[in-house]
Amino acid sequence: MPGVDHCLQEAMAIPGAVGASIVDYTTGFPVATTGAAPNSDHEAAAAGTADVVQAANSRALFVSAVPHDLLEDLIITTSGGYHLLRMVRTDFDSRLVLYVWLDRGLGNLAVARRRMQKLADELVAS
Amino acid sequence: MTAAKTAAPGRLLKQVAGERQTGVLVVGGNPGGAVYVLEGRVIYAESPAAPGVGELLTTSGRLAARTWQNALDLGTSTARVGRLLVEQGHLTQGELELCVLGAIYDAAYFALSPGSAPVEFLAGATHWLGPVVHVDPAAVDREVSRRVRLLDEIFPDGRVDTAAVAPVPRPPRERVTLTSPQWELLVNADGQRTPADLALLLGRAGYATVQELRRMAAMGLLELPEVRTEGPEFVRLPRERGPAVDVRRPVVRPDDAPTVPVVAGARAAASVPAPAVVAPPPPASDAPPAPDPPRHSLAEESGANQMVYRPGRLARRKPGARLPKEVAGEPPPEHPGTDEVLLKRIRTALRALR
Repeated sequence: MPGVDHCLQEAMAIPGAVGASIVDYTTGFPVATTGAAPNSDHEAAAAGTADVVQAANSRALFVSAVPHDLLEDLIITTSGGYHLLRMVRTDFDSRLVLYVWLDRGLGNLAVARRRMQKLADELVAS
Repeated sequence: MTAAKTAAPGRLLKQVAGERQTGVLVVGGNPGGAVYVLEGRVIYAESPAAPGVGELLTTSGRLAARTWQNALDLGTSTARVGRLLVEQGHLTQGELELCVLGAIYDAAYFALSPGSAPVEFLAGATHWLGPVVHVDPAAVDREVSRRVRLLDEIFPDGRVDTAAVAPVPRPPRERVTLTSPQWELLVNADGQRTPADLALLLGRAGYATVQELRRMAAMGLLELPEVRTEGPEFVRLPRERGPAVDVRRPVVRPDDAPTVPVVAGARAAASVPAPAVVAPPPPASDAPPAPDPPRHSLAEESGANQMVYRPGRLARRKPGARLPKEVAGEPPPEHPGTDEVLLKRIRTALRALR
């Protein structure tokens, strides 16, 4: 039965994955974490993740233009890595995002994005 | 089991967790709450201000109320409601874990954030949901204080956290941008629902609700409730007006004073040779001596206006003459329209009686 920990294990199985977490983006709280985090601080990373999601959700205009055109992914690339954020849509009220940090040399952005989509869907769909 | 005492709930939780106890930490006060601990790990938390797992799942339509009730009926006695829901295929393990985690941190904020509250630890108690997740109490405590700080960064005024949500009639800005949770709150705020009511109604986390309310308060979109300093003033009495008849005025009895011609000339034929000055009668022995400020002195008034006031009967005046000050009293206040403030206060008072 895929629970939160299982989901994170699967996320770490994505090629190039260095760290993964599920973050509540209203509070910036890491609900579950595994592996490494930027600056070795999952809580700080989660707070930053929350800021990024909030900015995209509420302060940028590109997500609010069309009805049902909801935010799916946020991808941030640095010269050393990829940071992928995937919204986890639960039916009940929760504002969660799946975060995976990939090594730039080992990771493949397209593959990782597909895998994360599947993981986020499996986590909440029966 | 410790007796109920006033302490910092967070500290007691740490102590209980350090001893790897099992039971429930009940926090009194408003809103208060309870944190369930299993062998030193937090397995559930609940608070009246935070929707529980059942409310979150049924309000959102994720579970039918019947499904939830069935699971309660079957699993409450054995404390495995959560496991049943997953085993019967109503929820995935992931959903259940995420929902419980969210509910724990949400309720923990309300239960543990007060610096001191009546707290009590009931050893051995378990929760009917059963252990779904195990959370480190130190992490819960850290997160609670972080959430308190976050709110103060948004808007450092906790009045909107508990009072009935009342949007301002006119926003103090030209353009208002709302997120969808904020919009939900505003359209459901009817001036009576508190943040906790709205959270339950909408099936939204209590903390997230408070957070959005603080954001809207920072934008000036919410009315800030007045802080009551002294005891509750249930009904505001109308502003005191001058009485139509000055009660301190000495009573003129028909028998103890000569009838005075009110208008010189009009009653010139009056048989009594009127003294222009009427002395105040001596205070009756059974009545307390009324203070008699000089401006009420009959002598002065009657001297100036040539009039003496007699209860029950207005003296005739010269055409165009104005009413004497005492009779006219203060001009009535302008009608202020429906006294909304008074109505609001009555409503608050009635709510307090519920």
